[in-house]
Amino acid sequence: MTSMTPRIAAIAAAVATSLIGAQAVAQAKDSVVIGWQSDIPSWDPTQRTSPDSQSIFKAVFDQPLDQALDLSLRGHLAKSWKLAPDGLSVELEFRDDVTFHNGDKLTSEDFRYTFFERPKKVEKLDIANFWRNVVDIETPSPTKAIIKLSKPMPTAPQWLSFFCSYVLPKRYMESVGPDAFRDKPVGSGPYKVVDYQLGSRMVLERNDAYWGPKPAIRNVTIQVIKEASSRVSAIQAGQVDLTVNVAVREADRLGKEKGLTAQLTPITRVVLLQIRNDLGFADANIRLAAHHAIDKEAISKAFYNGAAVPLSVVATPGSPGHLADYKFPHDPAKATALLAKSGHAPDKPAKIKFATTNGHFPSDFEIARAIAAMWKKVGIDAEIETIEYAKYFELNRGHKLPEATLYSWDNASGDPEIFSGYLLNPNMPFSAWKGPEIGEKVLKLFGVVDYNERVAGYRAVAREAVETGASIPLLQSVISVVHKDGLSYARYGNGWILPQSMAWK
Amino acid sequence: MLATALGIVLRRLIAAVPILVLVSMMLFAVLRLLPVDPAAMSVPPNATRDEIERVRRDMGLDRPIPEQYAIWALGFLRGDFGTSIHYRRPVGPLIAETLPTTIELALASLAVAALLGLGGGLWLFHVRGSWKEAAGDVGSTALMSVPSFLWAIILILLFAVALRAMPVAGRLDMSFTRPSGSGFLLLDTLLAGRFDMFASALKHLVLPALALGLSFSPPLMRVLRSSLHDVYAEDYIRQARLRGLTEGRILVAHAARNALIPTVTLLGVQFGFLFGGTLLVEVIFSYPGIGSLMVEAVRNTDLPMIQAIGLTYCLVVLAINAATDIACRLLDPRLRAA
Repeated sequence: MTSMTPRIAAIAAAVATSLIGAQAVAQAKDSVVIGWQSDIPSWDPTQRTSPDSQSIFKAVFDQPLDQALDLSLRGHLAKSWKLAPDGLSVELEFRDDVTFHNGDKLTSEDFRYTFFERPKKVEKLDIANFWRNVVDIETPSPTKAIIKLSKPMPTAPQWLSFFCSYVLPKRYMESVGPDAFRDKPVGSGPYKVVDYQLGSRMVLERNDAYWGPKPAIRNVTIQVIKEASSRVSAIQAGQVDLTVNVAVREADRLGKEKGLTAQLTPITRVVLLQIRNDLGFADANIRLAAHHAIDKEAISKAFYNGAAVPLSVVATPGSPGHLADYKFPHDPAKATALLAKSGHAPDKPAKIKFATTNGHFPSDFEIARAIAAMWKKVGIDAEIETIEYAKYFELNRGHKLPEATLYSWDNASGDPEIFSGYLLNPNMPFSAWKGPEIGEKVLKLFGVVDYNERVAGYRAVAREAVETGASIPLLQSVISVVHKDGLSYARYGNGWILPQSMAWK
Repeated sequence: MLATALGIVLRRLIAAVPILVLVSMMLFAVLRLLPVDPAAMSVPPNATRDEIERVRRDMGLDRPIPEQYAIWALGFLRGDFGTSIHYRRPVGPLIAETLPTTIELALASLAVAALLGLGGGLWLFHVRGSWKEAAGDVGSTALMSVPSFLWAIILILLFAVALRAMPVAGRLDMSFTRPSGSGFLLLDTLLAGRFDMFASALKHLVLPALALGLSFSPPLMRVLRSSLHDVYAEDYIRQARLRGLTEGRILVAHAARNALIPTVTLLGVQFGFLFGGTLLVEVIFSYPGIGSLMVEAVRNTDLPMIQAIGLTYCLVVLAINAATDIACRLLDPRLRAA
C-alpha cells in the first residue's frame, strides 16, 4: 500500500500537469497541423468522387499525370503520354523508379488493374464510370501501357489527373482485400498514412523513399473540423497551422491578426445560373434580360468582399476556355427594353421559379435573394425555391429544375469540356439547358480530338451560350486560406492545398 | 435486488420490441417519403439512367415499400444495417466505431449536469429564503436559457481562443496516436497505462461535456430543491429533529434520499435529450461520435445511415429508461414492492 502511494501521486501529478498546462500551440518545423473541412469518404481514392478529398489523396497516392500551379498538364507517374489522333487510345510511358509504401514496385500492371481490371469486377467504384469506355489496357512492358477505348475520349489525358485517377497497388490490394486496404492504405505518394480516425483525424508521415521531390514537412496532421466557425477558433487559438474555407470576412479579419496570414485565391469554381430553354424562360429576351439585370460586381462586393471575379463566360480566367476580351455588360436599361419587347414591365412581370441551395456554398441563398431583387426592378418576378444539394442531380436528371437554378460548379482540370461541355451537354445530368442548337455543337465537340480545335470550339460555344441566354455565369469562386506566418504552401489555380508543397521558413 | 433489476430489464426488453418496430417503421416510411432517390445518390454524377436503374434494382428500391421494409428489418435482425451511400461501407461497423465516443461524451455531460444540478439543488435549499437563493435562481435561469451550441461557442472563445488553455477540436492531442480498444478513450488510455494520454483525452472532453451539461443542470437543481421542500414538510423530518439529529445528518440520511427519486427520474429523461443534444456539440468540437456521423449522413442524404443511427438513438433511450427504472427502484423500497 505504501509503495503504491508515491506512484498514484506521481500519476495524479502527471494528469494534473497535463490538464492545467496551456494547450500546446507551437509546432516543430518539421510538422504541420491542417484544419480541414471534411473527412474523406474512404481511403480508396477510386471509390467516390469527392472534390474536397483530392488534396489529401494527392498526398498519399500518385496519379498518372499531374497539373502545374497554372493547371497545365504535366507528367507524373507517366513520363510521357500520347493521345491517338482518333482519340481511341492513349499511350503512356511510366517511370521505372516508383515504389509503393510497402516496397512493391509500381508497374503498368498496377495501372491496368486500377483503371480496367478492378473497375470491371468491383461494383460501385466511381472510377468505373469515368473510364467506362475502356475496353482494354495493354501492357507491352512494365513501364508502358496503352489504353484502348470504345469511343473517342479527347479529355483522357485531363482525366488521368482528375477525380479517382490514382494508381493502386495490385498485389497488396488483392492480397489484403478492399476492407483491409481502406484500413491500412498503401499508395506511392509523398506521404504514408500513420493513423486515421473516422471523422476526426488523419496522421501522415513523409515517405522518405518517394521518387519525386521530398516534402519539407515530415509529419502532417489533418484535423477534420467541419464547422467553419470552429476552424476560425482553431487557427486563432494556434491549434492548427493552416485552415481553409472560412468566410471571406473572417479571413479578412484573421489576416489582420498578429502571426496570421490570410489569402483568397481565385479557383476553377464557377458560380452560375443554370437555365432552362422552356417554361418561363422559353423567350430569349427574358433570359437575356435576366442576365443584363444582374450586377455581378455588387454581388461580389456584398458577399465575397469583392474577391470573387465577375464572369462573362462559364470558364475561369487563365483556363483554356476563358475569353479574356469578352464582357457581358450589366445593363438594367437594356434588360428593361428586352422585357418590354416581350410585353413585360415591372408592373407586368415575367414570372419564373428560381431554385437555390442554402448553405451548399458561401452565401448561396443570400445571392439568390439579391438576384431576385435585381430582377424585380426590371420586371422579372422570381419565386425562390430552396433545394437540398443532394436533390439537385435528381431534379436535373428528371429535367425538373425550374427556369433558373443557382449552382456552383467545380472543375479542377480547368478543361473547357468540363465547363461548357458538361454544363450544356443535353445528355448529361449536369445540364438544365436542353436546346438543340447549342446541344448539337457541344455533342460534336465531345468527339473532337485535336486540342486547339476543341478549345476553340468550346470558346465559341461558351460565348454563344451567353449571347443566347443559355447560360448565365456569375462569379469565379475563391478559396480562403488562413495560416501561421512562416508557413508557405503552393497556391494552385484549382484550390488544391497540398501538404507536400508546404514548408516553414 | 438482482432479481428486481433482472426483472426490470426483462420487462423493458419485451416492451422494447413493439417500440422498436414502430420507430423503425416510422423512420423507414418518413425516409421513403422524402423526395430523394437513394439510387441516384449512390452513383457518380455522370452515371447514365441505365446505371441508376441497375443500382435501384440492386438496392431493392423497385419493390413495394412493405417488401423493402421487410428486407431491411430482416437484415437488421441479422446485424446487417445496410450499406452507407456516402462511405460505401456497411453501416454497422461505422456506428460501432463512433458510438463509444458519443456515449463517453454523454456520460461526461451527465456527470457535469448531475454534479451541478445536485450540488446546486442542495445549495439552493440550504440558502432558502435568503438573497443567495434569489441569486442562485437567476444564475440557474441564465444557465438554462443558453442552448448547448451557444455554450460550446462561448466556452471555445473563452478557454481556447482567449486563454489558450483548452483544445478546440478532436479527442486527443496531435502528438498522441489513439490506443486500440473499446473506443471509450478514457478507459482505453487508463488500461494502456497511458496517463498522459488519459489527461489529454480528459482535457478534450471537458469543454464539450460542459457545453452539454450546463444547460441540463438547472432543471435538476430546481426539482431537487422542490422535492427537498416537500420532504421537509413530512412528519419524519420533524421527528428526526426531535430525536436530536443534526441538520446535516437529516439532509443527507433522510431528506436527500427521498428527494432524489424524482430527480433521478428527471435525470433519466434528461439523459435521453442530452444524448440527442450531442449532435450539434460534436460538430462544433469536431468530436467524432454518431452525432457527427448523423450530420454527415443528413448532408449526404445517406438514408441507410440515417435509419440505423435513428434506431440506435431509440435503443439508447430505451436502455436509459430501463437504467432509470432500476435506479428508482433501488432508491425507493415502495417501488420494489409494487
